[in-house]
Amino acid sequence: MTFSKAIILLSLLVVLPVIASELEWQTAQPEYSWSFPQDHWARSGYRNEWWYFTGHLSSRENPERRFGYQFTFFRIGLRPELPPLESQWATRNLIMGHAAISDLAGKRHIFSETLYREVSFLGGFGSYPESLIAWSRAPAGTAGTWELHWNGEGFDFEMQDQVQGIAFRLSTHPLKPLVFQGPNGYSRKGEDSRAASQYYSFTRLATQGSLTVGGETFQVEGESWMDKEFGSNQLAETQVGWDWFSLQLDDGREVMFYHLRNKAGATDFAQGTVVSETGEVQYLKPGEWTIQSTETWKSPETDTQYPSRWRITLVRENLELEIVPQLATQENRSRILSDLYYWEGAVTILGSSGERLGQGYVELTGYGTGNLLPSALN
Amino acid sequence: MIRYFLAAWTAHLRKAPSLFLLSVLGVALGVASVVAIQIINQNAIGAFSAGIKAVSGEVDLTVLGQTTTFPEELYSQVLATEGVAAAWPLYQIDVALADRDAFFLQVFGVDLLSPVRLPWNSSPADLSQALFEPGWIAVTPSLAQEMGWSIGDSIVVTSGTRRVQLVIGALVDFQKVSPLASRKLAIMDIAQVQGLLGTSGRIHQIDVQIQEGTHREALILRLQNRLGPSVQIVTPRQREEQAADLMGAFRLNLTALSWISLFVGLFLIYTSTQASLLRRRLEFGLLRSVGATRAQVFGLILGEVILLGLLGVILGLPLGYWVAKSNMEMVSATLTNLYLLQEIDSLQLSPSLYVLAAAIGLGGAIAGAFFPAIDISRKNSKNLLTAFTLHEKANSLALPLFGMGWLVLILTALWFWFLGHSWKPAGFVLAVAVLAAIPLLTPFLIQQICGRIKTRGFGLGYSLKSLAARLQTTSFAVSSLAIAVSMLLGITLMIGSFRKTVEVWVQTTVQADIYLTTPSWRAEPEATLDAELVSALAGHPGVVSVDRLRRLLVSIENKRISLVGVDMDLSGGQSRFPLLKGDRMQVLRNVQQGGVLISEPLARKSELDVGDLLQVYAGPGKLEFPIAGIYYDYTSELGSAAMDLAVMGEIFGPGPINSLSLYLEEGRDPERVVDEIKARFPDTPLQIRSNQRLREEIFEIFDQTFAVVRILQMMSLLIAVCGIMLALLVLARERISELALYQALGASRLQIFRLFVGKGLGMGLIALGLGSAAGTVLAAILIFVINRTYFGWTIQVYWPGWPVLQQLATILTAALLASLYPALRASKTPAVELSRDDLQ
Amino acid sequence: MTATPALTFRLVSKVYDTFSRESRFALREVSFDIPPGLKVAIVGRSGSGKSTLLHLAAGIDVPTQGEVSIRGRNLAALSDRARTLVRRQEIGLVFQFFYLLPHLSVRENVCLPGFIAGERASEFGERASELLEEVGLLDRAEDNIQELSGGEMQRVAICRSLLRKPRLLLADEPTGNLDDANSGLVMNLMLKLASKEGNTLVYVTHSAELASLADEVWRLQSGVLNPS
Repeated sequence: MTFSKAIILLSLLVVLPVIASELEWQTAQPEYSWSFPQDHWARSGYRNEWWYFTGHLSSRENPERRFGYQFTFFRIGLRPELPPLESQWATRNLIMGHAAISDLAGKRHIFSETLYREVSFLGGFGSYPESLIAWSRAPAGTAGTWELHWNGEGFDFEMQDQVQGIAFRLSTHPLKPLVFQGPNGYSRKGEDSRAASQYYSFTRLATQGSLTVGGETFQVEGESWMDKEFGSNQLAETQVGWDWFSLQLDDGREVMFYHLRNKAGATDFAQGTVVSETGEVQYLKPGEWTIQSTETWKSPETDTQYPSRWRITLVRENLELEIVPQLATQENRSRILSDLYYWEGAVTILGSSGERLGQGYVELTGYGTGNLLPSALN
Repeated sequence: MIRYFLAAWTAHLRKAPSLFLLSVLGVALGVASVVAIQIINQNAIGAFSAGIKAVSGEVDLTVLGQTTTFPEELYSQVLATEGVAAAWPLYQIDVALADRDAFFLQVFGVDLLSPVRLPWNSSPADLSQALFEPGWIAVTPSLAQEMGWSIGDSIVVTSGTRRVQLVIGALVDFQKVSPLASRKLAIMDIAQVQGLLGTSGRIHQIDVQIQEGTHREALILRLQNRLGPSVQIVTPRQREEQAADLMGAFRLNLTALSWISLFVGLFLIYTSTQASLLRRRLEFGLLRSVGATRAQVFGLILGEVILLGLLGVILGLPLGYWVAKSNMEMVSATLTNLYLLQEIDSLQLSPSLYVLAAAIGLGGAIAGAFFPAIDISRKNSKNLLTAFTLHEKANSLALPLFGMGWLVLILTALWFWFLGHSWKPAGFVLAVAVLAAIPLLTPFLIQQICGRIKTRGFGLGYSLKSLAARLQTTSFAVSSLAIAVSMLLGITLMIGSFRKTVEVWVQTTVQADIYLTTPSWRAEPEATLDAELVSALAGHPGVVSVDRLRRLLVSIENKRISLVGVDMDLSGGQSRFPLLKGDRMQVLRNVQQGGVLISEPLARKSELDVGDLLQVYAGPGKLEFPIAGIYYDYTSELGSAAMDLAVMGEIFGPGPINSLSLYLEEGRDPERVVDEIKARFPDTPLQIRSNQRLREEIFEIFDQTFAVVRILQMMSLLIAVCGIMLALLVLARERISELALYQALGASRLQIFRLFVGKGLGMGLIALGLGSAAGTVLAAILIFVINRTYFGWTIQVYWPGWPVLQQLATILTAALLASLYPALRASKTPAVELSRDDLQ
Repeated sequence: MTATPALTFRLVSKVYDTFSRESRFALREVSFDIPPGLKVAIVGRSGSGKSTLLHLAAGIDVPTQGEVSIRGRNLAALSDRARTLVRRQEIGLVFQFFYLLPHLSVRENVCLPGFIAGERASEFGERASELLEEVGLLDRAEDNIQELSGGEMQRVAICRSLLRKPRLLLADEPTGNLDDANSGLVMNLMLKLASKEGNTLVYVTHSAELASLADEVWRLQSGVLNPS
């Protein structure tokens, strides 16, 4: 019998919630009192937390070299308090880093990851007012670290993986203000009011820095989207995964919505947000949008079939959008946890007559058999 | 011919079952003694690698500290090294079960959140408990069964002076992935091990998996450069070799002994083959005269011998396994006591052992029969049908063989003197020469001693004299007994001298009244005494002074040795390090200025002398100490070094004490103070021994170490006794006419019985004489050559009179007993058998 | 009053089991008395039962039927040990193949019955020398047996048989392994010594010439005894 990391994550995902209920985790509240910038840093009283960056970059020298990228730090809380043991290895958190580059010209998608206990020499979380928010050491075989910093108005972050041959070091600053996903950043995940998280986004971040792929390093610039979410009980037992869309329209608007799916594949719960050009937020109510998947793509590695093209209608905004993946093969497959894989990719937004309307990122989780969910929960 | 073979063989078996059984037994014993030792040897190494395999799985490289531990931050450095695909930290500590005497769990602290391969069918709930339930430990099902533990039970272990309650959280069958793994292996999360049982900040090991396509040697170099000199990077193979190296001397000695048993066994095989051939020479002659070819006769003989060998192997394998099994614990104790290695917990028979056993048994039998078979098949049928001339050959060969024996001895001695003494295994060559000379010298000695006896009656003198009549048969029996005796005596003398030397040494060095350490002492240097306890004991009523000992492990040339720190200036403690070399006052001064004392084995093996620099890798890095003196020490074959405690504190930083010795004021009863201390610290795990008790324990360990050797001695003695019995049975059978003649001349059955017992006694006596002489030489070789080169101890020669006498008496009794059955057979020879022509 | 016969056979039969079911009679109802001092030669072909007769007479073998008595004592009625003692005290044996022990010297071979009887060397040392003197081998007393010729060996064997002054001397083809010259020499020596010591002598031979030297010659034919 092989003891694989899959079991670890399984336990984190499946069993710990049971135990978690006995432990004193804080839960997401509608009347949470936000305080920035402190809330950009880790909130260790909650079980799960993540910082999610996705974006579209292109080479300054050669704008034809376009890239999609993803950079995520997960904090997986094991215990609210540190166990009373005199050992560095005694820990209450795991830190997991996921990063990917979609080289659109090179038609390749490269994924990298880290997973460590929160140990002073392996990874951990900073605290306000130091700039460091989270870090982990790079994957095995690579010197250096992955880091996420607050630069005063936006985020700086970097990753590297010598084995996979990718690295980036990016600096962002917001082009539009912070947006709460859900009223006061309280994001419901199901009918049960306890199933929720605290959730905010920077929907448009100017991004620049350097990016390395396939032995080439590019000076890049572009736009990113940042999500931060934390909570303790997010996914209901009936929910198996989600489809998440973050869309940046060329006209200055942004749209985010997610569908939590049940075992039958139907939508169990869905929410959405539309941000106007000037930053006003509108929360979508059920029925105010429709989504229809029009094509599928089957991963040759995991044999998993994902939806791969969508038609979206936003009634009130009077938008008809065609969402097209910029590359089919944007599947992230963990090497540490063999059961962990999901699709996370750059997409182009087209109008009904095929004209470009914008760009975005789509995340599809819970497809395939025995699949684990990446961002621990939701 | 096959049909004939089977028919003849069964007929002979029916006619002379005891002869055949003895031959088989001889082969079996020879095979068993070699197999037993090989099993133990292989499994000692096997246990070591199995432990590694059970916990680490199939790793490519391992990072080990030059001392026991290294800073755990190096884990991050390992991960940062190009070419590393994955790495796992490991913390290892032996803890003692509180309610058992000297029962240790080998606890491995692993990162249970890393993808470690464990044979653990865990549920996720287990994992969360493993991490967070205080004291969660996974043990093997076999240990749980043995101890009556089930999941959820609490057990109490001690680590140093800490008492820790652990909870059986899971049963993990390491033996399933690694059959030789000890049942005493246990797994905990690394955080729990460090926090509850060990110390934080340091780990023992990092296992490394190499990125595919990475050049291993290059990676080792990169790791070494990145990690610095405090660690070594080894392959699993190198680790095994290091362990093998560590116990190399011990294994070599066992192996040498087992080969001697085989050597003796071969004699038995040879004798019995000869016997069977002699018995059947008429039959062979007849076969030849009715047209059987030489090859056919040769094949017939060979077939019978192969059958004999095969049966011996079939019997010898399980016998060897049994011997190994029943000695496993003692050998295991030796390995853990002397070499700080893994216990051997279960045995496995590797395929190579079957091959070895078959080779020994069959090869021995065939070698024993080959020349006689050729001889017989070459003879023409007339020769076979009439007189048999082999014996006369032996008679005329006696003198040349004797000359050859001396030649072997002299040439070997000359070789050793001029060339061989610098070669490490030279001692074994000497020993082999002595043993090889015995059978060469024997025929002539028997011929001379027995031939010269003037018979004055039909008593012992007559028995002795008649031995010379069948020189070949008796020579073989006497030689094999003499070899066994020499081995027995040589080793007895060596062990006796060694024991006496240790006794004197213990008397000088063990002088404090009370010795105090922790039950988990085996995990030194991590088993430590609580500092408050140490000061409390110093103030205990009746305690005059306290000798504190702090033990560190350092490495010299990649070998770990103990570096102990003691208060060198302690009054009354001067004799703790009896000096082999150096002026006591001068040495003391030098030690207080930062010099070290090194033990004799270290000095010999690393060729170090007073005034040299001792270079060690230790916690702070590479260090050098001037050697102030060399002291006698018999606690470790690997060597050790000692320095002043204060100096140690300056160099290595302050650290806890591992053991204490207490000197009491005059007139205090140590046993009483021991009880007082036990009563005063009832909840502190302590191992307290009075001076007397410690001395006793030292000798228990000493005797345990040599227990296997004794078993081997007994086995070769048994083989030799079988040889005597066989020889006498052969004589009883072969000399039927002679016996019948005695009867015809009026000898009673009792007289013939006595005659045979006398022959047995005579053979015993001659073997004893020859064996004693050879044994003394062997003892000298063991003490002055082999021991010095392989163990590095000075052994004073003592003649353990009483044990030697006892053994000699035992051997003689054994020879006597061995002759009883043949004597009985002989006395029943009917006088009518007086119609053969065997007397010529 | 007639003296007790030195050797008596009463209806003695000896049957050997053979591989076929039939039994083979080596001796068939043999009866005789040999008075003390008589010298009897027994002749017959090989297989006629001569050796069997001697073995029975010496108590080495026991008869299937009938009674063998030495000086009136029925051997069959005695224990094995008592029979051995009778043999030790009363009987001297000479064999066709001499049966001398190669590891003993000439003198030691002669003394062997003395050794076995547990007598002190002083009691028979002298006697051995005398006997060796008689057979002309005193100067070879310390020699190794293997150095002797066949005739010399048999002379040593005769000395051995006479060492303890047995009343009955039994000789089984004593010259069977010797050439003619030696045969005569040895035979004469044996008869001379027997006469001198007053022994009763029974010897088996196939030579008519040697048989004629005896007081009586008996013929053994297929296990049946016929005085000739």
